[in-house]
Amino acid sequence: MLVNVPGPWSPLLGRLALSEIPYTNPILAPLFIVIVLAGIALIAGVTYYGKWGYLWKEWFTTVDHKKLGIMYIILGLIMLFRGFIDGLMMRTQQALGDGPGDNGMKLMGAIHGYLAPFHFGQIYSAHGLIMILLAATPLLVGLMNIIVPLQIGARDMAYPYLNALGLWITTAAVFLIMISLFVGDFSHNGWFGYAPIFEMAYSPGVGVDYWIWTLELVALGTTLGSINFLATVVKMRAPGMTWGRLPVFTWTAVSANIIALTSFPCLQVALALVGADRYLGTHFFTAGFGGNLMLYTNLFWLWGHPEVYFVILPAFGMLSEVIPAFSEKPIFGYITMVLASFAIAGVSWIVWLHHFFTMGMGPYVSTEFSIATMLVGIPTGVKVFNWAFTLYRGRLTFSAAMLWSIGALFLLLIGGLTGMMLAIPAINYMVHNSVFVVAHFHMMLLCIVYAVFSAIIFWFPKIYGFKLNEVWGKIMFWLFSAGTFLVFFPMFMLGFMGETRRLDWPFNPQWGAWFDVQEIGIFVYVLSVLAFLWMLYVSIRDRHANRVHTADAWGTSRSLEWLTDTPVPFYNFAMVPHINALDEVAWRREHGFMDKKPDHFKAIHMPNNTPIALYIGALTFLVGFGLTWRVWWLTLASLILAVILMIYRSNKGDPGYIIPAEKMEEMDRESKARMLSDDSHQVPHGGGFSGGTVTAYAALDRDASGPLTPPSDSRHL
Amino acid sequence: MSHGHSDPIHHPEVQMATNRNYITGFVVSSLLMLAATILVKDHVLPSFGLLLAIIGCAGIAIIAQVYFLLHIDISEHNIWNTVALVMFIPLFIITIGLTWWMFSQLYMRTMPMMPGMPGMH
Ligand code: HEM
Ligand SMILES: [Cu+2]
Repeated sequence: MLVNVPGPWSPLLGRLALSEIPYTNPILAPLFIVIVLAGIALIAGVTYYGKWGYLWKEWFTTVDHKKLGIMYIILGLIMLFRGFIDGLMMRTQQALGDGPGDNGMKLMGAIHGYLAPFHFGQIYSAHGLIMILLAATPLLVGLMNIIVPLQIGARDMAYPYLNALGLWITTAAVFLIMISLFVGDFSHNGWFGYAPIFEMAYSPGVGVDYWIWTLELVALGTTLGSINFLATVVKMRAPGMTWGRLPVFTWTAVSANIIALTSFPCLQVALALVGADRYLGTHFFTAGFGGNLMLYTNLFWLWGHPEVYFVILPAFGMLSEVIPAFSEKPIFGYITMVLASFAIAGVSWIVWLHHFFTMGMGPYVSTEFSIATMLVGIPTGVKVFNWAFTLYRGRLTFSAAMLWSIGALFLLLIGGLTGMMLAIPAINYMVHNSVFVVAHFHMMLLCIVYAVFSAIIFWFPKIYGFKLNEVWGKIMFWLFSAGTFLVFFPMFMLGFMGETRRLDWPFNPQWGAWFDVQEIGIFVYVLSVLAFLWMLYVSIRDRHANRVHTADAWGTSRSLEWLTDTPVPFYNFAMVPHINALDEVAWRREHGFMDKKPDHFKAIHMPNNTPIALYIGALTFLVGFGLTWRVWWLTLASLILAVILMIYRSNKGDPGYIIPAEKMEEMDRESKARMLSDDSHQVPHGGGFSGGTVTAYAALDRDASGPLTPPSDSRHL
Repeated sequence: MSHGHSDPIHHPEVQMATNRNYITGFVVSSLLMLAATILVKDHVLPSFGLLLAIIGCAGIAIIAQVYFLLHIDISEHNIWNTVALVMFIPLFIITIGLTWWMFSQLYMRTMPMMPGMPGMH
């Protein structure tokens, strides 16, 4: 029943053999040595400073949503860097390899440029997969993890242990794709894979298997996460946090996770069927024996298009938090913002065919999907106008976070308009599979990256208690934007000039100048990466000077996460607040309630740490690795062990622990003392609750006249 | 965590989860899967009949799994599950329906005409 693999196989090691380790490769071998040395240094450092216990207790076994979120973000940033290096290599290959000539760099068996087609194929496949699923997705999931419970006044996610499980399974996927660098190869069929080239007959190596199992693992991790987010928002809102008072970011998290929950299973099924073809010899996606190639493409994009909205919607949510805070106005059109999020989520389900308009299913089907795709422009347009009207006559502060958000708006505009062009089948037939498409989706995905940087700068002080360096944040913004312009403007041009995507050898010498511009752009990007690292260094060095002494770090923030202490204590809120309005913090600031203390405390119930999530994550990595190399005993043993651990944990449950009221009071006093003085209510501010308009400096007078009484429809604080 | 006091064992969803239900669900869906496999493997029916038969098996299996394994019924205390179920129906129609439509149009234009093929008009 199992498919025979070409080449040697042994029961003990499967397809693993020494020859699968590319130790003669002039790029990978030195990289491997560097990584091993860095790893040794890291381990030695942690051991020297005696930090293993701390790491284990505070990070590896934690179920705290904030720490898990931070780890998600670190994971995402590392993978963003890895994906960026892939991008740099691809750009360099095309710059070097352009034209008919032979540049004499035959180092790795390349005739054009410095990379052989086989290597180039692996790099672009890994780049796409990493950027969308292992960089953007973890960054967004991490931010949602940190912020959503804070915004709805919850102590943690609904299922803290499931949350940890999601993180560690995603980490397993990261390890799997990273190890493919040094053990065997990665797929060279593009990030979404083409039938039937990924079938055993045409891709006999392990690359496609790595690709399948990496994707399966992230899909699993993300699905678990989406269940958790939905349950959290449905069940864990603080009293008074009605649906109509949910911050926009939380709303976008809800809509995004509905898409994730409903679409990721499609991907899992599609890949399982590819797996069946490759391992069991079925013919789902072959050309013969009743298989259908396009069915794969169909199933993949059935997930793929909702997925792109899964990543853009939280980004929209972030913009909707940052822009009002730095415009000192409530978001314009809250209700339309929420409805637009759901409209986008809904429409994202009926457009997937636009990724393969050229399949040949004729004009009727194309027309339906073309029109549906263009419909997305309406809610997206509503959002853009809402942001514009929020900015309009606002009291704008061009902080680093705000710059990133405004940059995101520009990218959204370019990406959206080119998307509209692509949605017209007649145009699509011309530019499909050209780098014009690549430029389109990079505008969109970079819009997400901009929103993420904006959000990181915006929420950083809430979590760590000090602000990131504004000057370096802005320098990084301008470098990054220059890089974006220099790389992607030429890419649009090249698309118009007919360059197809994924060329290891761009044969046309007339493209050469544009490639050189792109190469310069990539080096500007390198500078922005350095600026980012420098920003982190400077901010951490000067953290005492940049410490935030107030709950509301920016003085103009609006939603609930800014109400609790800075940095956020592990229990989030000493007393779960009662919510009185949309934009609760703005409302309280307006009414002088920011420094209200609870008059009594209650005992609270917190979940215990557990290492089981980490163990299960590690086991899923072994399952993936075993399946890739067809080491059956390893696969089975890890799978069985993982199931046993799951059952064990389910039976044991977690009673959690109780922090008594007196202890809470004491911890709250300490936490407040650390903030020194809470003078956030003295900051000049603009409009208060939703619908308010800009008022010029009315705030100080109002504070002087004492707190106002809350409107009659609100209950006790 | 805010409602840690209410014992989860008493939640209606949990009450519905009995061993017998799980086993029934498992057995029913396994049998249906087996039946479909045998039908297809031995080509017991003509093509179109086969298609209908396995669609039927799949439909019953879905209902069995939703009821026995996911404990979804349409009662009041399961309101959120019902919401999820109702949301699922349009998605089901969209994904399967549009896929069917696009492939029937594709086959009409690209495949040799063979009697009994899906998508034939
Ligand atoms: C205004 C909304 C949008 C429209 C009308 C639109 C339209 C399109 C169309 C028609 C294609 C297919 C081009 C082709 O392959 O011939 C495409 C590709 C793509 N779009 Fe969009 N899009 C929109 C928004 C987005 C967003 C928000 C994202 C992600 C955040 C995104 C990411 C992508 C990706 C990743 C691809 C290409 C995938 C691949 O082939 O590798 N798009 N878009
Ligand atoms: Cu799409």
